[in-house]
Amino acid sequence: MKLVGSRTAATAILAAVALTTAACGSSASSGGSPGNQGSQGAILIGVPVPLSGEYASAGTDILHGAQLAAKDINAKGGVDGRKIQIVSQDDACQASTGSQAAQKLISQGIVAAAGGYCSTAAFPELQAFHRMGIPYVMDASTNPQLTEQHFAEAFRTIGRDDEQGPIAASFITGFLHGKRVAVGNDNSTYAKGLADATVSALQQDGAQVVFNNALTPGQSDYTSFLTKIGQSKPEVFYYTGYYPEFGLLLKEAKQLGLKFTMMGGDANNDPTLIKTAGSAASGAMMTTAPLAQFLSSAKGYVDAYQSAYGTSPGPYSTYEYDAVGVVAQAIKAAHSTTPGKITAALKSISYQGISGDFHFDSAGDRKPANYIIITVKGDSFAPYKQYDNATKQWTNVS
Amino acid sequence: MSAFLQYVVNGLTSGAFIALVALGYTMIYGVIRLINFAHGDVLMVGSFIGYEVVVWLVAQHWPIALVVLLALLAGMAFTGGLGMAIERVAYHPLLNSSRLAILISALGVSLALEQAAQLIFGAGFSAYPSVLPTAGFSFAGAHASYVQVGMFGLSLLLMLGLWLFVTRTMAGTAMRALAMDKDAATLMGINVPRTILLTFMLGSVLAGASGVMQGMYYTEINFFMGFLIGLRAFTAAVLGGIGNIPGAMVAGLLIGLIGSFSDGYISSSWSDAIIFAVLIAVLVFKPTGLFGERVAERV
Repeated sequence: MKLVGSRTAATAILAAVALTTAACGSSASSGGSPGNQGSQGAILIGVPVPLSGEYASAGTDILHGAQLAAKDINAKGGVDGRKIQIVSQDDACQASTGSQAAQKLISQGIVAAAGGYCSTAAFPELQAFHRMGIPYVMDASTNPQLTEQHFAEAFRTIGRDDEQGPIAASFITGFLHGKRVAVGNDNSTYAKGLADATVSALQQDGAQVVFNNALTPGQSDYTSFLTKIGQSKPEVFYYTGYYPEFGLLLKEAKQLGLKFTMMGGDANNDPTLIKTAGSAASGAMMTTAPLAQFLSSAKGYVDAYQSAYGTSPGPYSTYEYDAVGVVAQAIKAAHSTTPGKITAALKSISYQGISGDFHFDSAGDRKPANYIIITVKGDSFAPYKQYDNATKQWTNVS
Repeated sequence: MSAFLQYVVNGLTSGAFIALVALGYTMIYGVIRLINFAHGDVLMVGSFIGYEVVVWLVAQHWPIALVVLLALLAGMAFTGGLGMAIERVAYHPLLNSSRLAILISALGVSLALEQAAQLIFGAGFSAYPSVLPTAGFSFAGAHASYVQVGMFGLSLLLMLGLWLFVTRTMAGTAMRALAMDKDAATLMGINVPRTILLTFMLGSVLAGASGVMQGMYYTEINFFMGFLIGLRAFTAAVLGGIGNIPGAMVAGLLIGLIGSFSDGYISSSWSDAIIFAVLIAVLVFKPTGLFGERVAERV
C-alpha cells in the first residue's frame, strides 16, 4: 500500500534519536557480537526498513516491533539456547538503497530477514536474499508481484492487494446483501487493481456491478461523479482509492442526499478522512488489515510497545513482530540456522501470531487472508466485522 | 431530467469558485500582459489563512456567522497584501524586461508559495472544522444546500462589486485605460505602478475569497490545491477572452458546467482532458475567446 503523507524533519530526527537509543539497548541486552555465526553466538535476523526519508517513522515502528519480538523470544530462553539478535539496515524506501541494505545484512551474517516497508525497496532486497538462499519474511509490502515471482525465499505476514477485493465482495454480498454495487477508483495502479479484483469477485458472487469508473484525484468537487453513481441506483458503493477523495465523497454524498452505503479500501484508514467528512463519515466502512489495537491477541503487545517507546505501534509493527516470531519458530522446527533449512521449515509452518493464526501457501503468501471490516464511530475508527472461516459467517471482531 | 438539473446545480457551484479565480488571471493579464502562474497559489494561501482563523475562532466559541465573516475578511486581506507584495518583489523590477523573464519569475513565485506552505502548514491535508449547516432543499429532483446557494450568491456579489468598481470608479477607469494602451494611459497622467498594484490586490482578494469559500464548502485543503483550480480558472480566463472581465465571469461558470456534465455524462477521469481540449479549440479557432472582441490584439 502506498502511503500518502510525509514526515517533518523534526520527526525524522526524533526517530533517529529513538533508533540510536533502541539499537544500543538491543545490542547491550543480546551480548552477542555481530557476524558471529558459531553455534554459541546470537542468531542474527536482518531487518531492512526505511530509517531515513519520508517513511522513516513507519520504518522505525517496524524495527521496534522486531526488537520487541527478539526481546520476548530471548526472555523465554531464545531459540535452542541461543539468543536472537536484530540487525537493521536503512533501505530509505528506494530500490538502489534497498539492494545495498540487503548486501550489508548478508555480509553481517544474517540467517533470515524479516522486515521491509515499501514494495519498491522490497523487490531488490528479495532478489539479493534469493541469490543467497536467505528467507525474507515481509511485514508490510502488499504488492502481489513480490510473491508472484515464486522465489522459495519470499514470505509475507501481511495480505496482498488482490486478496482484499474478494473479501470486500464477500462482505458486500454476504453481509450487506448488496445486489446492485457501484465500484469507484482513482486510476492509480493500486486502486485500479483493487477495483478490478473487487468487480470480478462481485460478479462471481452474483452481484450486479452497476457502475465501475474512475474519478480524477486531487479535485474538490465530486458531486457530479456521485450524482452519476446515484443514477445507477446502487445499494453499496465501494471506493478503492485514497482517503482525501473518499472523505470528500462521503461528505458530498450526504449533501446530495444520496442514500447508498459507502465503503472504502485500506488506503482510507486515516484520521484525515473523519476530519474532512465530519458527521458524514459516521458509519462508513473500510476493508483493512487489522490494526494492533483492534486485535485482542495483540493487546499485550500494544501495551508493551506503548511502555517501551511511548507511542502507538503503528499499522505494521504487529506484522513485523509476527515475522520475527515465525522465523524464530522455523529455526526451532528446523533445528538449524542454515538459511535453506529455515526456508523449508517456513513452508510447512503453522503459526499462532498476535495478528492471528496463519500459515504460508506455496507462493509464500499468508493464509488465511487477513482483512477485517472497520467502521467510523464518533471521531475514530472501530473494528466492525471479520470473516469466520469456521462458521462461514461475518462475526464481530473479537 | 432530475440528474440534468443536478449537474447544472453542481456545475454552477464549482463554476462560481472558478470564475472568481479566473477574474484575477484576466485582470492581471489585462494590465501587464502576464499569465500570473502564482495566482492559484495565492488562492491556496488564502484558504490556509481562513483555515487558521476558523480553527482559532471556533476554539474560542465565537458565533458561526462571525467566524465565517472574519475568516473571509482575513483571507481576503492577507491575499490582497500578498498579491501586492508579489507584484513589488517579483514582477515590478521585470516589467520592462522580456516577457519570458517575468513569466519565469511567476513560476518561481508559484513554487516558492507552494513550498513555503508545505513547510508551514504541512504536506498532508488539513480539514476546515465543519462550521456550516448541511441542510438543503430539493426541487424537481435536484438537491442543493442553503450553503451552496449562499456561496453562489456571495460569488456573484463579489463579481458584481468588481464590475461596478471597474466601470464606475476613477481607479477602475484607470485600470481599463491601462489595459487598452499603457503608453497613452501614462500620457494621460495615470499612475501606472499604482494601478498595477491595485489590480494585483483586487485579483488576489478575489482569489483569497474563493480559497476561503472553497475551504469552508469542501473542507479539505492542501498546499497543492492551487495548481488544479488554477489550471481550470486559467482555461476559463482564456475561454472568456483573456483581459475580458465579464467574459471571465461567464466562462468560469461555463467551465464549471462543462466539468460537471463531463463528470456526469462521460467520465470523471475524462473531465480535465475535455476541459483542456476546449482550451485548445478556443486557442485555435477563436484566439480572442468567446467574447473576445473587446480587447484588441496588440503585440
